[in-house]
Amino acid sequence: MTGQVVMESRHLWKIYEKHLIAVKDVSLKISEGEIKLIFGPSGSGKSTFLRCLAMLTIPDKGEVFLRGENLMVQGVDVNKARAKIGFVFQHIWLFRHLTALGNVELALRHVLKMPKEEAREKALEALREVKLEEWAHHYPAQLSGGQQQRVGIARALARNPDIILLDEPTSALDPELIGEVIDTLRDLAKKGTTMLIVSHEMPFAREVASEMIFFDEGRIVETGTPEHFFTEPGSERAQKFMARLIKKTRSE
Amino acid sequence: MLGGVTTTLLISILSFLSGTAVGLPLGFLRVYGGRVAGILVDGFEKIFRGIPELVLMLLFYFGLGFYFPMPFKNAFFTVTFVLGLRSAANQSQIFRGAIRGVGDEQMVAASSLGLSRLRSIGYVMVPQVFTFSTPGLGSEYALLVKDSSYAFVIGVLEIMEITDRIRKATLDTVTPYVIAAFLYIALTFPIATWLDMWGSRRKKRLGL
Repeated sequence: MTGQVVMESRHLWKIYEKHLIAVKDVSLKISEGEIKLIFGPSGSGKSTFLRCLAMLTIPDKGEVFLRGENLMVQGVDVNKARAKIGFVFQHIWLFRHLTALGNVELALRHVLKMPKEEAREKALEALREVKLEEWAHHYPAQLSGGQQQRVGIARALARNPDIILLDEPTSALDPELIGEVIDTLRDLAKKGTTMLIVSHEMPFAREVASEMIFFDEGRIVETGTPEHFFTEPGSERAQKFMARLIKKTRSE
Repeated sequence: MLGGVTTTLLISILSFLSGTAVGLPLGFLRVYGGRVAGILVDGFEKIFRGIPELVLMLLFYFGLGFYFPMPFKNAFFTVTFVLGLRSAANQSQIFRGAIRGVGDEQMVAASSLGLSRLRSIGYVMVPQVFTFSTPGLGSEYALLVKDSSYAFVIGVLEIMEITDRIRKATLDTVTPYVIAAFLYIALTFPIATWLDMWGSRRKKRLGL
């Protein structure tokens, strides 16, 4: 499990205005094939942290490394780095004027500059991976929320990124649509995809995560294996949060 | 008369297209270009939306035309040029609203793929912005057809000028104007309506 480090943050800070600190001194490493899961109360800076890693939000202090390259150094081609990072959004954000295929194809054609045929082939392959090949020519508006998010995942993975960052990929979906997205993620996990996921899907976390990271008030409070969190979380805040989550999951 | 219709159409279409060519980048500059660009675009819009096009046409034709006969002494060019600038100011506002309507999320999603800002705008924003803008663009086109009638004061042979000549020749002060009125409706209404319908259909299909 301890392959090469794919992505790393060192003492990362994101400060909104003077007093609103979203990310406080976060250091984290993800190695090849690892799946790490960030969880914690809403507003605790998880999403901001994830966006900082993909340089979609520019951090204020600290360093972000992708395969050893520091993305915070002046003059780094951030677009080139982003091309190697897959990102899946909570609210999906598919391109509404393009079909499922068009959504997946776009970066292959215009970022990786693949010829048309090759891009099409590759995009269909990605859609096959999320089991949506027959829906390739439908527009996002014609797909269910779960299907849309699977297209979102296909769009993120088609470029064979070094890592996929997923920001609460199921939390905006109706409960009955969550399962199909989790199944897709489970398939990716089986293939050894390196992933950093913000999620509160605890059964899924227990099944696939190599490490869980508890976030609160912009910082990492506690890290450990899923078993650690399910049986004996150390910090009081993590204990309370887990208790609430487990209760909620049971009631569903 | 047919020549007049062609000229009116040419003025409207050419000024509309040049208005789009200038107004679309201005709209994006206004939203994504930062403070200075924003102020400049705002100034441009205020000037060309604030001054009556008749004043501008006369100023360009007689004023600028005195110093630069090429190209401003060409009445057709000056009319199209002025209406094009005015339309750019209007379209910039239409597009700005549409860009906000499409939403910044689409830009974020595009950058997450590694697309540069310019490519994100070109491949993701522009196609959606046009769909969003259709009602506004339809009325903008209609406005241009109507405003092209000002061209008659500097002697461009469009519908209005020809109407005026017919009135002078026949001394009939009603029929020529009624015919002109119908011609203007025929030139504006179908295209504006079609654009609006096309836009609504597409919006519905894409869930915009």
